[in-house]
Amino acid sequence: MENIDELIDRLARESGGVKPAPHPFKLGLKWMGWATVYLFLSLLFSGLRPDLMMKLHESWFMAEIMALVAVFVATSVSAAVLSFPDLHQMRRMAFSPLIAFALLMLVLIGAWHADSPPAPLPVHSFECTISITLFSLLPTVWTFYAMRKFASTHFCWGGSVAALSAFSVSALWLRLHEVNDSVLHVVEWHYLPMIAFGLAGWGLGKKILKW
Amino acid sequence: MNRLKPVMINPAWPSIRVNRKKSYKIIFECIVADNPDNFEALMKLALNGDQRAYADLLRGTSRFLRPFLAKRLSFTNEVEDLLQEILISLHKARHTFDGNRSYRPWVYAIAKFRLQDYLRAHYSDQLHHAIELSEVEESLSGNVTETGMSYESISGEIQKLPGKQAAILQLMHQEGYTAKEVAEKLGMNESAVKVAAHRAYKVLRSQLEK
Repeated sequence: MENIDELIDRLARESGGVKPAPHPFKLGLKWMGWATVYLFLSLLFSGLRPDLMMKLHESWFMAEIMALVAVFVATSVSAAVLSFPDLHQMRRMAFSPLIAFALLMLVLIGAWHADSPPAPLPVHSFECTISITLFSLLPTVWTFYAMRKFASTHFCWGGSVAALSAFSVSALWLRLHEVNDSVLHVVEWHYLPMIAFGLAGWGLGKKILKW
Repeated sequence: MNRLKPVMINPAWPSIRVNRKKSYKIIFECIVADNPDNFEALMKLALNGDQRAYADLLRGTSRFLRPFLAKRLSFTNEVEDLLQEILISLHKARHTFDGNRSYRPWVYAIAKFRLQDYLRAHYSDQLHHAIELSEVEESLSGNVTETGMSYESISGEIQKLPGKQAAILQLMHQEGYTAKEVAEKLGMNESAVKVAAHRAYKVLRSQLEK
């Protein structure tokens, strides 16, 4: 092996001008922009739920959508922060999804209490999970591809957050597309699979984001 | 913490016709000359393609990383090997540092990451090569003070090795030369000597085990 001075000289010779990576907020905003375009295009093709305007006047539905948007924003920014080896010295931002998920949980508990008498369960069940998973594949690939360009030292955590970010876009799409008022169904088939997806992202991060 | 010092530009100075990028570069060079440990300014220059600043930066970095690694590893060669790996990682990830935040936390994040990686690989390797006690139970009762191998038998096996390998082992183990000295004597480079010696040990081990 060469000695340190030789290595430094070689690295210095190989180095040229390099464009520094953008700030994580900018990066997160860029990823959110792409995901939003994807969401709009998908809604354009699949169509909005017919009763959406009416549902937007229901406080619990609106709160759920807002909480999902918060999850999407927090996970996108957190994934961008986790792409940097030192978390861009904004460690707290990496934990921001926890607050968003707590908010979503509170909203779901509130919606469940307010769901009296309970809305009838839809006839389908796991189809929702499959739809969300399939729909989130493209944003997952995109986010992992974008994160690989950086140097994450928290690749498992980063992978998990990136997967959750993609999943939240899909969950948002399904809530705006599917006619369904059952909170129990939404929790069971829309949000609980998020845990499995997050764990899958953890494993994917270990495989894909390691450098 | 190394922060950029504000630079006062005298309004009485004659206006110099330089573009903005060039004037920033001049200001940074002044700051660096004033304080060679201003890693953030050095990194900014390096990101703009200044190779000298980049070499200074890496040299300064290895100066403060060496004691950090020495505290955590037991052998000097381990420290040097890992330091090289860390410098290569810093080089690969240099685009993730923009020079607008503290340099040391960024470096330590990468150094700790590589150190953990190294220790994980090291310990898993040790576990991999560990032998179950039950596997060697039978041989434990044997006489451990006597061995079937003698100096002559090892020496004889060395003679049977291919010319260069035999010469290397003789020089290193019978005459006490270091790998570097053997390399000079045989007109090889040091790492080639080490590789040849390693291969010779393998052959020798399998011969003696028979």
